[in-house]
Amino acid sequence: MTGMALRLGLWRTLNVTLLLVLPLPLVIVAIVSFSPDRFLSFPPTGFSLVWYREFLTSPDWMRVFGISAAIAAVAALVSCTFAVLAALALDAAPARLRGICETLILAPLIFPHAALGIALYGMMNGIDLLDGTFLGICVAHVILAGPFAYRPISVALGKLEPAMAEAAMNLGATRQETFLRVTLPLLRPGMVSALLFTFILSFDEVTVTLFLVSPQITTLPIEIFHHVEQSTDPVVAAIATFLVLAAVLLVIILQRTVGLQLFFSAESDEKPGGGAA
Amino acid sequence: MAAIISGTGLALSPAARLLLALPKALAIGAFLFSLLGLMIASFTDAGGGASLALYHDLLNSHATRLAIWRTLWVATMVTLICLVTAYPLATFIARSRHRDLMLILVISPWLTSLVIRTFGWVVLLGNRGVINQILMGIGLTSEPIQIIFTPFALVLGLAHVLLPFMVISILSVMMQIDRRLTEAGMSLGAGPVETFFRVTLPLSAPGALSGCALVYLISAGAIVTPLLLGGLRDRVIGTQIFQEIFALYDFPRAAALALILVVTSLIAITPIQIAEAWLRGRISRI
Repeated sequence: MTGMALRLGLWRTLNVTLLLVLPLPLVIVAIVSFSPDRFLSFPPTGFSLVWYREFLTSPDWMRVFGISAAIAAVAALVSCTFAVLAALALDAAPARLRGICETLILAPLIFPHAALGIALYGMMNGIDLLDGTFLGICVAHVILAGPFAYRPISVALGKLEPAMAEAAMNLGATRQETFLRVTLPLLRPGMVSALLFTFILSFDEVTVTLFLVSPQITTLPIEIFHHVEQSTDPVVAAIATFLVLAAVLLVIILQRTVGLQLFFSAESDEKPGGGAA
Repeated sequence: MAAIISGTGLALSPAARLLLALPKALAIGAFLFSLLGLMIASFTDAGGGASLALYHDLLNSHATRLAIWRTLWVATMVTLICLVTAYPLATFIARSRHRDLMLILVISPWLTSLVIRTFGWVVLLGNRGVINQILMGIGLTSEPIQIIFTPFALVLGLAHVLLPFMVISILSVMMQIDRRLTEAGMSLGAGPVETFFRVTLPLSAPGALSGCALVYLISAGAIVTPLLLGGLRDRVIGTQIFQEIFALYDFPRAAALALILVVTSLIAITPIQIAEAWLRGRISRI
């Protein structure tokens, strides 16, 4: 029995260690971010909020932060609208046609991002409207986010009970009323997770965006990348900590409100044929 | 026309369906068009004629062959490391009483940009980074040890950055497994290890396979993490594409490299996806 207890203890220690290693680099970044030193030193020589002040009062950093948030909002709204419309169009369509369309919709998932970045760069290069513009980055992010917008929505659509709509119509609702007051509210959870995932995808995206930014329009992750490439500027540590805390806060809010199941349901309900990586 | 097969309550005419699908079709069209542009650029010679010269050049260059080989090797290593680390972790989390707390530790980094998580490793591994400062502080070394800009740092950083993807992929299947199946295994006399190998593992394998395909694709197509942790000396295809565009301004060569990356990645992940589909089919028939 002691052998068993020992193995159980080892198993727990191993996994808890792994779990703590997962956020470890970010914890170190957070510690460094509160240092007053101009250069990275560990352990820090003191405690200060100068780098947070520098981030929050710098017009340049605030501008790219705003651009990133705006691109993510546009990309999320547009890709999810496209996905809802496409999912409705494909609902109850012949299985073969639907299969072909879904393969095309999910196709961006099987292309490595370095290749997608160069492909979109080639397409937009030389077109004034798209080359290094806000619109160009939005177009790229809508393409990238497409599969992530479509999946949760089509899963939610597939789960609808025809009896619900029938009941509404038997009770005298028109098709329009049924759609607006029964179907759409039932699709809301799928649409919310689609919006959430596409927003985060766009806000975090760096590999493809790297090819599409210009001196005028750039995003927060790209600006962070350029700073890290040149030096370990402690202001980046403050920004990183700020964004990590935002992510943790978001996850805690989601856990308290809708439950973390949200992060797992989209994939587990995949239908056969809809399951590209 | 009155028969409602769908749950939406809508009865859409084919024309209405086409109209609804149009925006999405345009987005997919733009995506396919960009891939076509990539192909055209990579198969065209300087005079505008069709040619395989670029591929011939690239595949005969020792540096490029090395970069292709390194990309395959790094992506495979990262995938395997993530797989063997994530499996126990996912099993542990799925069974734990503190599941939500652990999930917060997994999901929060997952929602943070790759560039920020890579930055964490730059802070740790850099020549003036935390590890070197500690080593020099306790007198183990007087000169910084070169950890960053080595293949080791790249594999370590990528594996760490991509581990949450694998854990979540495995968990999303594992949390669906009926508890009664593992309990039945235990009550029929199998130990926890045997139950894992004969019940949990076969049922969760599709999630692990889809995680493998995902992690492989992200590592093979990465640029930022290889630049920040691997450097430009030991190049992978991603960093070479970056160089061709931003240092040499050679779009056709970058396009050809991108297509080489697409083809090699597809060759690597197609068997994984076929295995996954086959397993999912088998499990759904149980």
